[in-house]
Amino acid sequence: MAVAARTAESAEPILRLRGVGRRFGGLEAVRDVDLDVRPGERRAILGPNGAGKTTLFNVVAGEFPPTSGTIELFNHDVTFMPARMRVGLGLTRTYQTSRLFLGLSVEDNLYLALVGVEGGHLRPVRLPGRDGTLRSQAREIAERIRLQDQLGAPVRNLSHGEQRQLEVGMALAGEPRLMMLDEPAAGLSRAERVQLTEMLLGLEREITLILIEHDMDVALTVAEYVTMMHDGAVIVEGTPAEIRANQLVHDLYLGRGHYERR
Amino acid sequence: MEQHGSRQQGRWRLWVLVGVLVLALAALAAACGGDDEAAPETAPAETEAPAETEAPAETEAPAETTEGDGAPIKLGILSDCEGAFGAFYEVDIGGAHMPMIARGATPAGANPTDGLENLPAPGGHPIEIVGYGCADDTPEKAIEETRRLIEQLGAEIMIGPLSGDEGIAVANYAKEHPEVTILNGTSGAQDTTLKVQAPNFFRFNSDGAQWNAGLGDYAYNVLGWRTAAAISDDYSFAYTSAAGFIAEFCAVGGQIPNENRIWPPLNETDYSSYAAQLAEIWDEVDGVFLGVGGAGAIPLLKAMEETIGPIDPQKVVGNLFYGDPVIVQELGDRAVGIASADSMWPDSTDPKATAWLETWDATWPDLAGFAGSVFAYNYNSAAEAMLQALEAVGGDLSDGHAAFREALAGVVLDAPFGQISLDANRQAIQDNFVRILTAEGPVTVWKIPQVAQDFGGTFTAETPPPDRTNPTCEPRELPWAGKAEVITAPEEVLGG
Amino acid sequence: MIAGARGRSGLAIVFIGLLAASPLFVSDFFLSAILTKTLWLGIVAASLIFLSGYGNMISLAQTGLYGVAGFVLGNVVAADGGLKVAWDPWVGVILGLVVATVVGLVFGAVASRSEGIYFLMLTLAFGILLFYFWGQVTQLSGFGGINSIQAPGIVSKPRTDPDNLFYICLVVSVAVYALIRYIVRTPFGIALQGIRDEPTRMRALGYNVALHRTLAFGLGAFLAGISGILSVWWNTRIDPGSVGLGRTIDVLVIAIIGGIFWIEGGWLGAFVFTAIDTYSRNIDWLGPRFNTLIGVIFLVIVLVSPGGLIGIWESARGLARRRSGAGAGLPPGAPAERSG
Ligand SMILES: Nc1ncnc2c1ncn2[C@@H]1O[C@H](COP(=O)(O)OP(=O)(O)OP(=O)(O)O)[C@@H](O)[C@H]1O
Ligand SMILES: [Mg+2]
Repeated sequence: MAVAARTAESAEPILRLRGVGRRFGGLEAVRDVDLDVRPGERRAILGPNGAGKTTLFNVVAGEFPPTSGTIELFNHDVTFMPARMRVGLGLTRTYQTSRLFLGLSVEDNLYLALVGVEGGHLRPVRLPGRDGTLRSQAREIAERIRLQDQLGAPVRNLSHGEQRQLEVGMALAGEPRLMMLDEPAAGLSRAERVQLTEMLLGLEREITLILIEHDMDVALTVAEYVTMMHDGAVIVEGTPAEIRANQLVHDLYLGRGHYERR
Repeated sequence: MEQHGSRQQGRWRLWVLVGVLVLALAALAAACGGDDEAAPETAPAETEAPAETEAPAETEAPAETTEGDGAPIKLGILSDCEGAFGAFYEVDIGGAHMPMIARGATPAGANPTDGLENLPAPGGHPIEIVGYGCADDTPEKAIEETRRLIEQLGAEIMIGPLSGDEGIAVANYAKEHPEVTILNGTSGAQDTTLKVQAPNFFRFNSDGAQWNAGLGDYAYNVLGWRTAAAISDDYSFAYTSAAGFIAEFCAVGGQIPNENRIWPPLNETDYSSYAAQLAEIWDEVDGVFLGVGGAGAIPLLKAMEETIGPIDPQKVVGNLFYGDPVIVQELGDRAVGIASADSMWPDSTDPKATAWLETWDATWPDLAGFAGSVFAYNYNSAAEAMLQALEAVGGDLSDGHAAFREALAGVVLDAPFGQISLDANRQAIQDNFVRILTAEGPVTVWKIPQVAQDFGGTFTAETPPPDRTNPTCEPRELPWAGKAEVITAPEEVLGG
Repeated sequence: MIAGARGRSGLAIVFIGLLAASPLFVSDFFLSAILTKTLWLGIVAASLIFLSGYGNMISLAQTGLYGVAGFVLGNVVAADGGLKVAWDPWVGVILGLVVATVVGLVFGAVASRSEGIYFLMLTLAFGILLFYFWGQVTQLSGFGGINSIQAPGIVSKPRTDPDNLFYICLVVSVAVYALIRYIVRTPFGIALQGIRDEPTRMRALGYNVALHRTLAFGLGAFLAGISGILSVWWNTRIDPGSVGLGRTIDVLVIAIIGGIFWIEGGWLGAFVFTAIDTYSRNIDWLGPRFNTLIGVIFLVIVLVSPGGLIGIWESARGLARRRSGAGAGLPPGAPAERSG
């Protein structure tokens, strides 16, 4: 049994959810979720539209607190910690619909992500040395997401695919320990998906990865372990192979395809 | 695709803009050109369109303009065309034009602001009106307009401004600009002359307190009030106005404690909360003094009717606004029976008075009936005094207007409603009148002869300026208390 | 980044040089009533443009805050009205700026949590509150305001000798412009633009969005305060009418006429506004309807170019550049025109 296999892996989980729920008025978007993610893991979260995947991300990232349950991140109870404090623990994320700084350049976007982690948010002076280091780091990230030729371009002028790449780049800034990507492949062309998959596969093992993805090729190639959600609850967990073989998953999801949205 | 769309749009916008700019420039050019053409053919004296008066001003040093070579005397007239007193704009300008019309000038149109032609030329120096300033009862705008008239259009003499705080600001401006002479338009704050004392600022009209001379005495002795309330605008003129009533009512023995003094802001439009304040004390007081002026008078009375019910006119007296034809016309029946005071005697049978009223109606048919307004009257007095002084010195403005100012300080106006002279602070000493508004118009009941600004020593340069709590309520000696000249017995009017 | 920055910097230098020489060839009236007024009015408009263009905070409190500096100055130096404390004029300047900044920080702390129309309404409420405060606390001002406010000797007599104040306003304007241009390229300024574009992501990246907004608002208040001080020197007086709703609308109109997305727009708008406000009163047939004229011009500009006059300039440059093959930059805060 998969769960037994996983408990054999001994490392302490870096993310531990217990009984997490989130209501929006009468709607229970997430209900009673237990989740353990171990260091270095590549985890995919699957589920049909409205299953509660993004809501779960938001709760973990601190956009809003859960209405029930507890969240532990790197052994800290962060259940009610504001979002902006979690980045200090090494948590970064992307958004299902891009949330980029459209009025700023690619480099400035990455620079802000780096300053966010490194501190000095309110510094009202330019320091050539410090800013130089941060900016060369920004350029390195731009290279990893293949936007090195667009450094000075206003983000609003980037194509959709480029914006999705930058979205991932924002999460790469500042040596994260846990990256949460919300449908990074949404709206990408086939070629771009391949590039994205390669980039994710090439990520250092120090980075733990949680991935929401409707694209099975991307999700099941990158992920080593899959959590399946439906109606706010976790219904199945297992390896990609186990998931492919699971009848329930087929009925709910794979069998009737999935909505491709952007 | 997006790029393409915005490119098209950009080009389209640019063309629209170019079109609009061209049109606007054409319109402006046409406007200026039009003036150039119109002015010379009809007005030999006024050869320049106002927009272009700068050129001649620059070619002549000020000293040379007064050497009998017929250099024009440049006059600016400042009033309010916006704000609480905007409705008086044409009336003010019309008032200032009357003395020049009496000396042969002719109106260029039905509205006073259309300008004058054939202006008088004291001592051979034709008067040239360089522009009409339009302020909005804020001191800031009044100063900007004063500067435009004087510094841009080159006015050497200015008549104005209209309202209290503007007057204080302009008097201060006068202090810093000894080269110009300013005659107050109709502003009536006390400080303007009593405290600022600019040597080149002359006021041929009463201040707000003088305008209420007789009203406190009347409320106490005729209406029988003992405790009163006052509701008045929260700014300098209305402080002065209330001060006149309060000082006199208290001087003869009445009471107006501070908690009965209500101060809505100037330019308020909804007086219901202030009327409610008044309603709370309505049964404890014998009457209320209304000092809410201009555009506020009507909404205030309406709000009082709504909160208190029908108003007994013998429980109300008002300052000059409550007898002013411009306001009364809009107040309708609401104001009938209310007593008010100011320096106007529109029902006088003196030939000077009737001539003034008739000439006004004949000159400004569109503004008929407004000669009884202090606004028309005071702008008229200022212009008349200016012309008399200019005539006395032959238009001589040399030596920093020295002779002109000396003549001005000595002018004694035999004005339509009584004599006007100046005190040492260049502030008018003038008769004041109490009147009752009837359905047939105002009926003047009392005359207080030759009221001076100091109220017999009540107000001096050292006393605190009138404000929300000053003057305090105490019995004082008043030169005219109990000595009013009865014109019509009040009982007759009230009884009828 | 400000679009077309280098071209405009060159232009700005030529322009400033021309301005610096202007006392040689314009009349005293033009220098004082048009140019000097343009300069100080431009600063308060620039403070609004800074907040709205770089922080997405359209503040209607800028006039109120500029009044705080002006009234504090008027109260603590020798003047006719107010507290008449008669301290040194420079102490008044410092106190005025400090109080304006502190009040701005307090307002900012309250308003920083709201956005869009709520922010607008809150700041409008602040502005009106200040207007009535100065009007009704007669010990500090009253509706008549404070007259004959003493300025430091270096200001000279602004009415009879306008050159000094003109140069002061010019130098301060250039400094304010340079300061804003500098600030928006520091981490603080770039982060402010990040907050403008995506406050949610900024929170996730670790930024304290409310604090950041508050501090930016404080900076805006400081800049507005500078304008308030200069306006008092220029007017030699201040009254609540100087900070009323009318003036608030004027400043908004100035910012929009000039170009709400570019700092330079503050001064350009102020110039156009001041010139129209002054000269349209000389047009006889317009009579007292010059406000209508300003309204019409405002409307035309808003319809033709949401980026104001500078936006028109940019469109023209963009056109030229597109002809020569390069892409056109959009302004930093221009509404994002995402294609669907
Ligand atoms: N802020 C919110 N307020 C109210 N309801 C919300 C909110 N966010 C999400 N929901 C609702 O919660 C449910 C779960 O939404 P969620 O976005 O988490 O689904 P998802 O699994 O990410 O779906 P998708 O694949 O479409 O992204 C949906 O019914 C959604 O409408
Ligand atoms: Mg989702």
